[in-house]
Amino acid sequence: METARATRADLLDPAHLAALGRVEIIARWVVDGFMTGLHRSPRKGFSVEFAEHRPYLPGDDLRHVDWRIAARADRLVIKQYEEETNLRATIVLDVSRSMVWSGAQLPAAGRGHAAPRLTKLAYAEVVAASLALVLLRQRDAVGLVRFDDRVRTAVPPRARHGQWRRLVTALGETGAGRASSAPAALAQAARLLDRRGMVVLVSDLLMEVDDVVRALRGLRAAGHDVTVLHVLDPDERELPSHGELLFVDPESALEVPATVAEVRAAYRATVIEVLDEWRARLGAVGVGYEVVSTDAPFGVPLRKAFAARQHLP
Amino acid sequence: MSFLSPWFLALGVAAAVPLLLHLLRRRIGARVEFPAARYLARAEREHSRTLRLRNLLLMVARVAAVLLIALAAARPAARLFGGGHGPTAMAVVLDNSLSTAAVQDGRPLFAHLDSLAERALSGATTADRVWLVTADGQARAGTAAELRDAVRRISPLGGAGDPALALARAASAVRNAGLAGQQVALITDAQRTTWTAPAQLGAVPVVAWVPAGAPPANRAVVSADAQPQRWTPRGAVSARLMAQDSTTYRIALAGSTLARGTAAPGEEILVRATPAARGWLAGTVELDADELPGDNVRYFAAWVGAAPRVRVAPDAGPFVASAVDVLRGDGRVAAGGDVTVAPADEVTALPALITAPTDPVRLGAANRALARAGVPWQFGPVRRGAVLVAGDGAGATQATLRYSLLATGAARTDTLARAGAEPWIVAGPGYVLVASPLTPDATTLPVSAGFVPWLAGVFANRLSGDPGRVVSAAPIQHLIWPSWAGALDGAPGAAGTEFTAPDRAGTYFFTRDGRRVGALVVNPEPRESELARWAPADFARLLGGHARAFTAADRFAAAVFDVTARRPVVVPLLAALLAVLVLEGAIAARGAGGEG
Repeated sequence: METARATRADLLDPAHLAALGRVEIIARWVVDGFMTGLHRSPRKGFSVEFAEHRPYLPGDDLRHVDWRIAARADRLVIKQYEEETNLRATIVLDVSRSMVWSGAQLPAAGRGHAAPRLTKLAYAEVVAASLALVLLRQRDAVGLVRFDDRVRTAVPPRARHGQWRRLVTALGETGAGRASSAPAALAQAARLLDRRGMVVLVSDLLMEVDDVVRALRGLRAAGHDVTVLHVLDPDERELPSHGELLFVDPESALEVPATVAEVRAAYRATVIEVLDEWRARLGAVGVGYEVVSTDAPFGVPLRKAFAARQHLP
Repeated sequence: MSFLSPWFLALGVAAAVPLLLHLLRRRIGARVEFPAARYLARAEREHSRTLRLRNLLLMVARVAAVLLIALAAARPAARLFGGGHGPTAMAVVLDNSLSTAAVQDGRPLFAHLDSLAERALSGATTADRVWLVTADGQARAGTAAELRDAVRRISPLGGAGDPALALARAASAVRNAGLAGQQVALITDAQRTTWTAPAQLGAVPVVAWVPAGAPPANRAVVSADAQPQRWTPRGAVSARLMAQDSTTYRIALAGSTLARGTAAPGEEILVRATPAARGWLAGTVELDADELPGDNVRYFAAWVGAAPRVRVAPDAGPFVASAVDVLRGDGRVAAGGDVTVAPADEVTALPALITAPTDPVRLGAANRALARAGVPWQFGPVRRGAVLVAGDGAGATQATLRYSLLATGAARTDTLARAGAEPWIVAGPGYVLVASPLTPDATTLPVSAGFVPWLAGVFANRLSGDPGRVVSAAPIQHLIWPSWAGALDGAPGAAGTEFTAPDRAGTYFFTRDGRRVGALVVNPEPRESELARWAPADFARLLGGHARAFTAADRFAAAVFDVTARRPVVVPLLAALLAVLVLEGAIAARGAGGEG
């Protein structure tokens, strides 16, 4: 069991995994591992209609064993569910300047040599690609919107062959503008979804809460299921540096001089307040919200994304 | 607070470092990109009061730490609240001289002094070594309780004593005690005539209490003498008073009043009397009592006896015979053969007033007669020519005919007058020898106005036997025992080679073989009657650099033992430093992660 977990790409350290290949390849590995584990929690899948039986394999959840067949045929079979094909999903990816950052850029404080760390954007791209691949393998239509201070890329949702290639290509396009303009991107996503669908916003949410909530409320009003994956570098939560530093926001050029040791506790408290505020505000409009740390294996945000959808009303 | 290494206080300037860092910290530091800077700004904005307070506390703690290090390095010593005092060698000098008996504000000053002494001693602990030293120089060692009992038994002396010596002894005692803490507590009236020179205290610190305000006005008898000491039987008493105004006095001898009167300030009193009593008599000159009764009575002594019987040889000359007749008529001498007045060649026995022979051819017979009589002098060559005579009772006497006087033995003699450089009148036991005939062609002495009194004095004081002597002394004065005395009435055990005068004023008689042979007259020093005092600051300066003087009893009591109340405070400072560092660490740790 441990060996199986160790070889699943969705459970590996994301920085080490990302070093092995391009987004396309990494996403395939992640999704392969992810899909292997999905049979243990089929309720977290997108489909709910029964499709067929298959033989029981070790590790399958006993809740999904068809006990009638087991009683008649004296063998264990698992009920599988037919995939939906009418789901239309759009992944909205923040590619602003603030996403092109990792805690490795901070002066190390008692960490020895800095551990390899993906930028939030690199991490989010793998997550987005993996998410798209999972959906496509379930024959859902998947689109992509990339934005910074404006919409950089808009790939309409499609389920046909070749959509995966288009999405991966789009992920490699330019971005990293100086600001994040989520409302415009979300509006673009809404236009791409011509009927009820799913929107997944992957962003560090370094933007005005009211603007984002207002845009998401519009999506919810249109009947879309919305999930927000809040990408955070661990060092954005802990502020592990030391000394006297001048902290500069790469997007707004805001400069904050601070003695790290003096403000660390207050900063941590503030980050917790901010996350709670996001959770509360988004929850109030029916938006799923999950915080994703860039040092977590890629399987974590995938599960969180699907879990958030399961919990939607 | 004092410092053993005060130069280390300069380290205190390092306290400016955390202060400057605190003020300049926002201008220091590298520029780093941080997307969540808005969260940081919000954290500082929302927690600004907490952060400012914390930063202030950190700055204060760091400045305090630096200051505490500098203070500890300077090795401070300070008086700690409730800390008592360390082992101390403490000598309490209680000035019990006569002047401290003066009544001030309705109460003897000494009553206040001894209560201060008790209070000073009550602060002693068993770890201290304590002494009590009084103006008579006596140093008492013991426990604080024993010395407090001793204080209650002490009363003012009859004289000045020597408080300065007592202070020096006290300082010596504490210096040699072997304790690091040393102090002398001096309780005195700061009388100017007593404290006249800086004390020899070394490095011993002195804390003194002196009375505030002016001393009371004082009247005193500052001198009283019998003139002459030997009354035959007529004599006189001279006295001098110290007073602001005219003062009534009484002179008494052997309990009988000789005279009463009023004397002006500075006036010398002279009272002649012929008392009926005989022998050694004690007398007093008295004033009405004032604020210092101890100096209102002054004592004297006189020997009163019958007039000497004098025989004048025919060759002594008409002037001598006439003068003796005058004295006999006045009752100062009587007719008889106790004392002879004669030229040397006619002297057969002593006592005698011996004159030089009128004719030089009788010089040999004269010298032989002197030798037979036991007079250790011989007449030498004749001297002619007028020579001025200088000496006791000589006045403006000239000698025109005289002989050189040559001593023949080592016997002790008195030279009463000299003619030029040579002895002219010499005296010894039972004789007075004049180097000239007492005739006008040899000397002007017999025709001078002072001849009769001089002659009376010779008979009364030189040739009428030896009744003894009067020794004048101050209370507790150290004296050589007179060889002619066997004992001292009123002071048993005083006999010896040396003795100390009684501490009470009065007349004490020397005796030998059961009869009085002299007197010891003990009177306070006249300067003790001058009650002027030093001001506290001047008194402290007089005592020396380590002396402090107070007039308030509480401040004095607080200063006693304060030399060892200052203890090294390095350990408390280091403890405080440790506490500050712990506090600083706690504040820093709380800021770094305690709230997260």
